[in-house]
Amino acid sequence: MTHLSPLSVPYRAAQRSISIVFALAFLAFSGGAAFGGFLGGLGAVALVGFAVLTIAGYEFAYYQRFEYELTSDTLDIRSGVFSRRNREIPYRRIQNVDISRNVAQRLFGLAAVDLETAGGGGTEGSLRFVTYEEALRIQKEVARLKRGDTAPDAPEPDRDVLFELTPRELAIVGALSFDLRLPGIVFLFATSVFPIAASFVDVPIPTRGIAAGVVGAATIAFLIAAASWAAGFASSVVNYYGFKLTRVGDELQYERGLIQHYTGSIPVDKLQTLTIEDNPLKRRFGYATLLVETAGYAPGADNGASASRSRRGSEAAIPLATRDRVQALVEELEGVTEPTFERPPTRIRRRYVVRYLLAIGAIVLGLYGANTIFGGIPWYTPMILAPVAAVAGVYQWRHRGRALTENHFVTRNGFWKREIRFVPYYRIQTTIETRTIFQRRWRVSTVTADTAGSLSIVGGDAAAVDIEVAAAADLRDELDDRLRDALAARREERRRARQASLGVGPTDDSHTQADAPDTDGLSSDDQTDPFVYRTPKSRTEQQESVNDRQADDVTVADDDAGPDAGDDESNDDAENETDSR
Amino acid sequence: MNRLHPRIRLLWVARAVVFALLVGGVAAAGVLFTPLPIPTFAPVVISFVLLVGGVGYALLRYRAWGYEVRDDSLYLQRGVLTKVYTVVPYVRVQHVDSARGPLERLAGLASTIVYTAGSRGADVSIPGLTPEGAEDLQDRLKRLAIRAEGDDAV
Repeated sequence: MTHLSPLSVPYRAAQRSISIVFALAFLAFSGGAAFGGFLGGLGAVALVGFAVLTIAGYEFAYYQRFEYELTSDTLDIRSGVFSRRNREIPYRRIQNVDISRNVAQRLFGLAAVDLETAGGGGTEGSLRFVTYEEALRIQKEVARLKRGDTAPDAPEPDRDVLFELTPRELAIVGALSFDLRLPGIVFLFATSVFPIAASFVDVPIPTRGIAAGVVGAATIAFLIAAASWAAGFASSVVNYYGFKLTRVGDELQYERGLIQHYTGSIPVDKLQTLTIEDNPLKRRFGYATLLVETAGYAPGADNGASASRSRRGSEAAIPLATRDRVQALVEELEGVTEPTFERPPTRIRRRYVVRYLLAIGAIVLGLYGANTIFGGIPWYTPMILAPVAAVAGVYQWRHRGRALTENHFVTRNGFWKREIRFVPYYRIQTTIETRTIFQRRWRVSTVTADTAGSLSIVGGDAAAVDIEVAAAADLRDELDDRLRDALAARREERRRARQASLGVGPTDDSHTQADAPDTDGLSSDDQTDPFVYRTPKSRTEQQESVNDRQADDVTVADDDAGPDAGDDESNDDAENETDSR
Repeated sequence: MNRLHPRIRLLWVARAVVFALLVGGVAAAGVLFTPLPIPTFAPVVISFVLLVGGVGYALLRYRAWGYEVRDDSLYLQRGVLTKVYTVVPYVRVQHVDSARGPLERLAGLASTIVYTAGSRGADVSIPGLTPEGAEDLQDRLKRLAIRAEGDDAV
């Protein structure tokens, strides 16, 4: 059992005290003034002192009663001053380990550690605070224990820097960022302060006429744009300064941040989908953004970068890189390159054009209505956008597509914000085909592959939009088939890996660690006995099991489920080995 | 393709009727107790339109609904205006509920809800089953899910 860092006591106490002490001090001194003089001031000091002592005492108790331990298969946390909580988090379930440090914490040498699992909407384990070294040790240990390495001094897997944000790229990211939050606050503040300020400064501000209105509006718009750009620039630079993505064994590690420093790890096998995102501007200059999605709760979502980015909750996202590098990274992570996409049927172009035209028509109609009431509105002007609508429709069609690669379902959608999503087949949860009443007129459907990602809730899943009805039905079943094949292949691969590790295992007792002893017994038989004569027998067995599976009456399945599954696996194995010979 | 229990129509139609009457009632109250210039026949018309629309929708909805317990996946189709076809592989099933709401109990019906780890997981619910049917389906799906060996649900 380990305690948090002792320094966390004064830090936490200070953190908590500051606001309370300020509030109390303000209250006491303003109140004290009414009582007049010495007594009031003394009372205030006493009150503040009492509050600080109480907080310090509580934080000390918190420290005393907070213990954590890295056992061989779980991370145990015992916490709580008044109500106790014992929590055990299996390493296998941990998705991300995130470390963050702000300026003050860096000064104290402290760090906050957050552990995320796939379930739930919150952080499962949170250590406030440990020393930075301890945080790094926890991160490393969790990764090691998850791998199942038993020796604590086992050589660390190679570190392989996948991506580093260059200063130039950082500047571009900043230049392309807008943050509307700060100008919003400034605007609110300014509207309340401006009249007062204006009364002090005698500036000849034009207050009448259309010119004044236009100038005023333009100035305000410009100021807002400039301020949000500056804020976006600053927040992007602060957030992505020193962004680095490293591959350590089977984990991705990222670090970033100028003022508040973040380090985190994401197991590669928990990656759900990859998304390459760009817009016409980025496409023109050959840049793109990469979003990496895990199934966990989005870490640091609320204190992330700009508003749009933080909602994505994808910490390992690469804010900006040249297209080649992004594609190389996708290939490195998922072994897939951007395929050639199959576009929706050509007649759908008309659909998009009509849709844009309808939108323009609606605006014109609205303006016409306004014109009949108020008069003097050039209601027909949006009509000049009609050719634009035609072009936009065609472009929308052109940038839409789907592809089935060897291991991935890839979709591409959007013109202004184009997203290319790579979904490994084995990550698909459910397949959904939808056909709206309008799509029915065009005899097309949308097929969506739902994954367990956190991004999907906001960003939408990989969807093949507007494909032929027949193709959609095929795609639906194809995805379902490929999912099961991919899962079976993965299971097989894992079993082989386990076997291989047993094969080279130094002692016999490693055999007992195998979680399916009889299966391993069978397959080791296979290994030692390389003759094919087993095959006929296993084929019939397999036939039986297939028949069994096809039988709709599943009541027998209960008894069969265990051994049947085992047989299946060994049969697959036998067959595969036959094939490979 | 399995259809839902025909009695679910009763439930949906009843719901549509109640809604239509409720809106009609509110409109009638508007006519009676407020000085707004609402024509007197409006509540009747509104109720009637909602009634016809709601009942028609309920019947079409019943006709559109179907599910199939396939070898490796659960297949559902539904939707009147937007047709939705869902494939839920058993490997992905996290847990299966069978539930009976108060109205369902009144109609002697139940529903089965299949959860996956997907972001739209809870969408997959099959209404309009008999209580035995729902439990049966739950049991069956449970076994199929266990059998599919979904060891890596995420």
